[in-house]
Amino acid sequence: MSSSHPVLPVPVPSHREAWGGFVASLSAKRVALTLALGALAACLLDPIFITPLPVLLGRTLFVALLGLLAFSAAGQWPRRLPRWMARWLMQVVVVVLTVPAATLLVYLVSVGGDLTALMRSEGRLLGFLWIAGSGLLVAPLLAMGALYRQRDAEARNESLRFELERSELERRALDARLRVLQAQVEPHFLFNTLANIRALVETGSPQAAPVLRSLISYLRAAMPRLHDETSSLADELGLVRAYLELMHLRMPDRLSYMIELPEPLQRLRFPPMALLTLVENAVRHGIDPSEVGGRIELGGETRPGGLVRIWCSDSGVGLTQSVGSGTGLRNLRERLKMFYGDSARLDLTENQPHGLRAVIEFRPQ
Amino acid sequence: MSRLPTALIADDEPLLRDSLERSLARHWPELQVLAQARNGREAVELFEQFRPDVVFLDVHMPGLNGVEAARQIGRRAQLVFVTAYEQYAVQAFEQGALDYLVKPFEEQRLADTIGRLRERLADTPAAGAPLSASVLEAAIEQLADVLRRPAASASSSSGEGHLQWVRASVGQTLKLIPVDQIDFLRSDEKYTLVVWAEGEALIRMSIRELIEQLDPKYFAQVHRSVVVNLRSVSHLTRGPNETADIHLRGRSEVLPVSRSYLHLFRQM
Repeated sequence: MSSSHPVLPVPVPSHREAWGGFVASLSAKRVALTLALGALAACLLDPIFITPLPVLLGRTLFVALLGLLAFSAAGQWPRRLPRWMARWLMQVVVVVLTVPAATLLVYLVSVGGDLTALMRSEGRLLGFLWIAGSGLLVAPLLAMGALYRQRDAEARNESLRFELERSELERRALDARLRVLQAQVEPHFLFNTLANIRALVETGSPQAAPVLRSLISYLRAAMPRLHDETSSLADELGLVRAYLELMHLRMPDRLSYMIELPEPLQRLRFPPMALLTLVENAVRHGIDPSEVGGRIELGGETRPGGLVRIWCSDSGVGLTQSVGSGTGLRNLRERLKMFYGDSARLDLTENQPHGLRAVIEFRPQ
Repeated sequence: MSRLPTALIADDEPLLRDSLERSLARHWPELQVLAQARNGREAVELFEQFRPDVVFLDVHMPGLNGVEAARQIGRRAQLVFVTAYEQYAVQAFEQGALDYLVKPFEEQRLADTIGRLRERLADTPAAGAPLSASVLEAAIEQLADVLRRPAASASSSSGEGHLQWVRASVGQTLKLIPVDQIDFLRSDEKYTLVVWAEGEALIRMSIRELIEQLDPKYFAQVHRSVVVNLRSVSHLTRGPNETADIHLRGRSEVLPVSRSYLHLFRQM
């Protein structure tokens, strides 16, 4: 079930679709059932008819088949029905009209098209009445039964479709989780940071040890934690701090940052990597492409009503083409919804004079 | 070559600039590093000012990246690209005639590069000098191409060239609305009402301008003044006179489909 092609109940099908629907409704099962019932009717009527059974059988089968054709056709044509006319009613009415008409046709053929001859022959008239009458008795019931079963099948299809949609959502959620787990540590980031650390070591800088510590804590936090479904905001903050320290080392002249998150908020459960995604975005799309760089500010507050708001604001280049498709953010949005339910939201606003501000809002559980 | 060779180092990370300068001093004492540039633009400016023999260019720099700077410097200097991890780029370097260093670089690798640079600088008049213009340009183009590719493929996943965000002011803030969250747009004279999962906003762009930038796979104009995101549609109901109403998932609004747009929904 691809989301790119929404399934719409069709108001007016095309000619081709109507033909397709017509052919599809003439299933082998239906044809066989119709023929069987026609044959049964012939057998039941045989004792009171003078006509030999094969002829009678031909007549009943013809009437039954014509009824089925009419039923199927009325299911598709006319393609547009007046508002007050329901399709099922249309089908039943058509069947009711078809049965006597088809019987009449059969008898007209037998008398060579001479209606008056038919009227005069009492036997034939009686035959007509018997076939048409029994047909009229059974056919509408059959039609209603078929419609009922059809509706049933549609309901089953619908629930199957929902099932598919749900499993698709589950798959996407799983995907999102996997994407978070893999490749958090980009080689580019890792090797650049290592190059910096080596430079510090070479010059005997006292900064080398703390930076190495930051890298280790970043790596430890960013390593896949399959069994560690949730973390606290404090854990997440540790990761973000390590990341920002490393980025600050790499561009000391271009990146400054401030983290200010009230202590009570830090105890909240938080989806792992969610905050890091925002901060990475700010560095990658805001600060890194800017010659002058900028400042990243991380903050949070509890709103009246218990809603928690956490933001990551930067004064980088702001929205450019490099933000790309925003898959990372879409992904994050999905994860927040999974984690906190529908109350969670992620908003992006532009900062003045430039930069982006990403705000997460959620109701803690 | 009688005068001492000169060089320029361009990298946006100060520690790495210094580190390269120190390594060069160890392995190539007579090389004079005339300046350090913090980005591609500065690299080009400083190159024009000092005209060094060798330019070390970090591939990834803000503003003008290393490859773009290289394009402007062209064959007026020996170019050495410096990169942290650009596996595709490295392939391009290997095929092309450009030299490169991968950070953090090994001393031996740097020594090799220095050896090659020395040779090229020494026999400038002979052996066709560094590189012919066409070879260099082709190599830079190839590199630029390679560098563009991963970024392009990342953004093409949801429709390249189509609008991804709509800017809208809500109160005092300028909000960025992800296009795939938009449910529908309704024009209101010069303005357009954008309705998305989490709110509504008026933007100062006509619906006609907007529809041109939206991915037609997802956005359909269903009425002179209404554009709907097909992913938000739940179902359609027919109205009189060959019109229909669109019902949206999780919304109470009902959108009109006018006669001339009804064909959009026929073959679905």
